[in-house]
Amino acid sequence: MTDIQNGNGLAAAEKFYAQYGSRARELKASGKKVIGYLSALGPVEIMTAAGVLPIRLKGNVSEAVTKGDAYMETIVCPFVRNVFDAAVKGKYDFLDGMVLPHQCDSIDRTNETWSYTLNLPYWHFLNLPHVADDPSIAFTQEILRIFVRSLEKYTGNKITDEAIAKAVAAHNQNRKLMRDLYDLRKSNPPLISGVEMMKVCVAAMSLPVEESSALIESVIKEVKGRAPAAGDPAAKRIMIIGDQIDDIAVIEAIESTGAYLVMDDLSTGSKMYWQDVDATPDPLRGIAERYMRKLKIPTTFIGSAPTYQGILEERFGHMKNYVQDFKVDGVILFIYKYCDPYGFEVPAIKSYVEAAGAPVLYLEDEYSTSSLARIKTRIEAFLEMIA
Amino acid sequence: MDYFAGVDIGSTMTKVVIVSGRIESSLIGPTGPEHRKLANRVMEEALGQARLSFDDLTYIVATGYGRINVPFADRQITEITCHAKGLQSLLPSVKTVIDVGGQDSKGIKILNGKVMNFVMNDKCAAGTGRFLEIIADSLGVPLDKIGEISLTAEKIAPVSSTCTVFAEAEIISRLATGEPIANLIAGIHDAVATRIASMVKKLNVEPDIAVTGGGAKNIGLVKALGSKFGRELLVPPEPLITGALGAALMGKDIYEKYAAEGQKPTRIGKKLEEATFFK
Repeated sequence: MTDIQNGNGLAAAEKFYAQYGSRARELKASGKKVIGYLSALGPVEIMTAAGVLPIRLKGNVSEAVTKGDAYMETIVCPFVRNVFDAAVKGKYDFLDGMVLPHQCDSIDRTNETWSYTLNLPYWHFLNLPHVADDPSIAFTQEILRIFVRSLEKYTGNKITDEAIAKAVAAHNQNRKLMRDLYDLRKSNPPLISGVEMMKVCVAAMSLPVEESSALIESVIKEVKGRAPAAGDPAAKRIMIIGDQIDDIAVIEAIESTGAYLVMDDLSTGSKMYWQDVDATPDPLRGIAERYMRKLKIPTTFIGSAPTYQGILEERFGHMKNYVQDFKVDGVILFIYKYCDPYGFEVPAIKSYVEAAGAPVLYLEDEYSTSSLARIKTRIEAFLEMIA
Repeated sequence: MDYFAGVDIGSTMTKVVIVSGRIESSLIGPTGPEHRKLANRVMEEALGQARLSFDDLTYIVATGYGRINVPFADRQITEITCHAKGLQSLLPSVKTVIDVGGQDSKGIKILNGKVMNFVMNDKCAAGTGRFLEIIADSLGVPLDKIGEISLTAEKIAPVSSTCTVFAEAEIISRLATGEPIANLIAGIHDAVATRIASMVKKLNVEPDIAVTGGGAKNIGLVKALGSKFGRELLVPPEPLITGALGAALMGKDIYEKYAAEGQKPTRIGKKLEEATFFK
């Protein structure tokens, strides 16, 4: 069992962050099945309902890709390569299976490389669409149903609509708690630092949902109990936008300059927690809508508005809200090299967010700390520029 | 009299500038693995040139990629901000700066000495001084001569590869087919200029445009860059010291800002001592 009590949440988050997957390893030893997933498109509600533990896979930015390149082409994005390398090296040797979504080329086209190389007992490719019109939602519902059937077959247990509804409620509660924690970043200085927040977000995606919720609750209590700090009134409030940033290195680079990281639009952060799943008569309908319409990621094209400006509002409107609600002074748009989906969106995001009143620094980097010194110079120059 | 020093530790060169009302002294020394620890030596020489002692300095700002490792500096400011500041004092009409350094190149948009926007090259050596250094070396031509040699080219031999390693291989094979060295060097300058220009053009480039850093000492590169922007580019009298000068002037600004409120900024650098690169 975990030993999370009220008041030691940050220490627990630190532990789960530093020893990523340690809880999954324990649960596996006690007989629980563990399913790994990649990216924000892993339907955790269904996995929780199936009685398996979903764990979001991450790599290690401080470790060079070595073994993985023997199996996977180097044109694949640095993030996917790094996670794959970690898996090949045995970091996730407790996995019983994996689910990969139809998302970007680097994930779609490496599905067989993953399944063949890791050779796990359970494998599922989740064939999600890339648009969010009504037929696509209906299609997604059926794709999720296929996933449910496949998990039922693997575990030997029926996954009832009630179990899914219950898991939906548990994950919604988890999301609400995380939003409550994010609220504590609105003050100046924020009650919780960006580095601490990153550790909590990473820890949260490695735990069973109830334990993740207990962790977040504990962190909230601990952070609320902090003595009010004076803070630096001249310190800039920064938001970071990007995909799976799952390490504190970049966050430390930002905060070591004296700036406060107060908000994110990351697929490991607010993207995961801002939108709940609606309770629908067929619970899969609500899940389909949450993942395809409410979740704003560059691989799903959301654009029903008749004008370009309207489409921009649909896709990036939440970023404008964050800038206002969290009093953001500047935005760092951090994209991994060769990430086509995000790469295509850079000009639109940059101009949209700048029009919303926050200057944007666009950084492109590997999923690696090797170039951190140069990245830091840019971050510092950006902060000097907006000072 | 108050004296302000700027120390710019670049990847290749360490630059020190001391200013009061005017530039009192400026000194350039190699950074290099052996010389790195000797930022204080360059500072000592600059002080000697200005007939000053370390205690005469009012405030010291460090910049450049080695800025965090200058123990005698009071503050660290990035080279991007310092370049903008230095350029304003050297060439006030300039709105766009192209800095070609040893390990990176950057474009900076400036207005009244402040950075409006900037771009920097990513990781790779193409478009940097290091690239030209390697090519000059493989052609057996001294680095400080390649600019002039490129101007004697009959035509620009196109070099298609911008990867340093591949470009070197390409040059060597072209050399074997009898292509004159001058044409190849012109080709290399053109390739570097194309690379830098396409990066800088991401900024809303406005004239005047200036070139700084070691690359500005290469007349061939400055001309090649000029052709990409369709105009003559300005070069400050000593392009290498732009960042260090900017750092010294930033220090002066900081000091005067405090002085206006009847205060003094906290001095951190108390003693002139070795940089702590390898500790």
